[in-house]
Amino acid sequence: MKKNGINRYSYSLAVPGLLLYILFFIIPAIGGLALSFIKILGFNISSARFGGIQNYLDVFSQPNMRGAIFNSFIFAVVTTVFKMLIGLTLAVALNKKLAFTNALRTIFFLPAVINTVAVGLIFSSLMHPANGLINGFLKAVGLGTLAQSWLVDTHLAIFSVCAIEIWKWSGFTMVILLSGMQTIGREYYEAAEIDGAGGWTKFRYITFPLLLPAFNNALILNIIGGLKVFDLIQATTQGGPGSATEVFGTIIFKSFGSGRLGEGCAASILLALIIAAIAMPTYKYIADREVEM
Amino acid sequence: MRKQKIVNGVISIILWLCALVILIPIFMVVINSFKNRKEAAMMNIQLPGSWHIIENYSQMMKEGGILRGFINSTVITVICVFLLIVLCSAMAFVLQRKKTWFSKTVNMIVIFGLVLPVQIIPTYFVCNFLHLSHEIAAILVLVVANMSFTVFLYTGFIKSIPLEIDESAWLDGANHTQLFFQILFPLLQPVTITAIIINFMAVWNDFGISIYFLNSARNYTLPLTVYNFFGNHSSDWQLVFANVVLSTLPVAVVYLILQKYIISGMTAGAVKG
Repeated sequence: MKKNGINRYSYSLAVPGLLLYILFFIIPAIGGLALSFIKILGFNISSARFGGIQNYLDVFSQPNMRGAIFNSFIFAVVTTVFKMLIGLTLAVALNKKLAFTNALRTIFFLPAVINTVAVGLIFSSLMHPANGLINGFLKAVGLGTLAQSWLVDTHLAIFSVCAIEIWKWSGFTMVILLSGMQTIGREYYEAAEIDGAGGWTKFRYITFPLLLPAFNNALILNIIGGLKVFDLIQATTQGGPGSATEVFGTIIFKSFGSGRLGEGCAASILLALIIAAIAMPTYKYIADREVEM
Repeated sequence: MRKQKIVNGVISIILWLCALVILIPIFMVVINSFKNRKEAAMMNIQLPGSWHIIENYSQMMKEGGILRGFINSTVITVICVFLLIVLCSAMAFVLQRKKTWFSKTVNMIVIFGLVLPVQIIPTYFVCNFLHLSHEIAAILVLVVANMSFTVFLYTGFIKSIPLEIDESAWLDGANHTQLFFQILFPLLQPVTITAIIINFMAVWNDFGISIYFLNSARNYTLPLTVYNFFGNHSSDWQLVFANVVLSTLPVAVVYLILQKYIISGMTAGAVKG
């Protein structure tokens, strides 16, 4: 009876979902790999011919693309570092009982629910070289020399976009870390206080080690999110000025728009490989948990 | 004890200063959407010299297609969230209960979608090949893009539901479909609420996928109307700001009412994983 128990569960209920997943995820993933080796003009299948690694060579020979790989990494690293630092600081501060803890939490998380296009437009205005509020503020407090053409300066633009991303998602990171902190039992801190531990010692030897699982999740989430970025850049600079903020996402969108589909797929596959290489350890971790439970 | 009080006071002040970094930009957008064209172009946080609330908003409504965008966003989001809940809970149920190497492998492949980015161009090929309309294609791709996460969420919860419940349902003569929809699905309510919130936010705010599939004013969702409105009115900041305010308002209101659920819902996967 117990033995054939699992046979009573039939796959029929899972079929609709699996069918969609196969059609719109698995087949495109395999098809994308195949397409990245094919030269094709637009959606005209009859123009397709085998191109070997030509698409990959084309992708790499474009100065845009080398910039895009570099920018994607810069974006992922800079935003991750700052989101984690700011998120952690805010989480530590808000883990105390303060007068307005809840109101502050609500405010810090707010940017996470605003859509990226709106956020992009808000910052296009704030970072406006002539009238923007950021330069206006700097001039008002006597730091006028620090005023910049934030999104227009080719050297600065990528960092300005990073700042927008950090503004939008630091509160999200904060909440992940805060939930991690709230699972840590009070008794650890009480024991440490009896031993005369100060604030930093408690953070260093209790909070941080016990926070590691949540910390790792937030870290990986931010790195993958950073490498995948597309909507924010498209909404603010569209990869410009020139190709100063070009990333994988915008390269793929541009090759799609101009009908260079093979190249787009090659760039897309490269991005997938990079993400897989970084995320694989995490994926294994998740999968192991799946099995053990 | 007094020292502690002072420290907390200082921390509170610093935190409120940080909060200003979020509140001032939002205030700037709202206040400038009430100004005339010349004043709004200055983009400062002074109160308007003359108020143009009705004028700006009605002009923006007329030209921005925001009502259309709101309807499209609502229809697409409702369909996507509904499909995700029904399909993913059923998938998670079968894949978790089966416990054969085959079901485990399938589950792994579905979870794989958590890390792998959607291959958008070949997906477009598939939709093209199947002659799907733009709207249907967008809905199906948005469903699949959020599928792995939703299955992952449900699987974790279904594990915690004891097999004895299934056993007693079998004994009462329930079949497979009855067992799931009448007995198990109601038990999944907490995770269903989380899944609705996460997927609502993801689909409602989506821009990266819909920009590929939705390509005319007729089928634009809110983020796309905002994006295209800015393209046409980049020097009418008062209208752009009004557009940003109105397109953000629905989700902001929902957030302020349900903030506790939304904050814990949106971060649930990351905390649990």
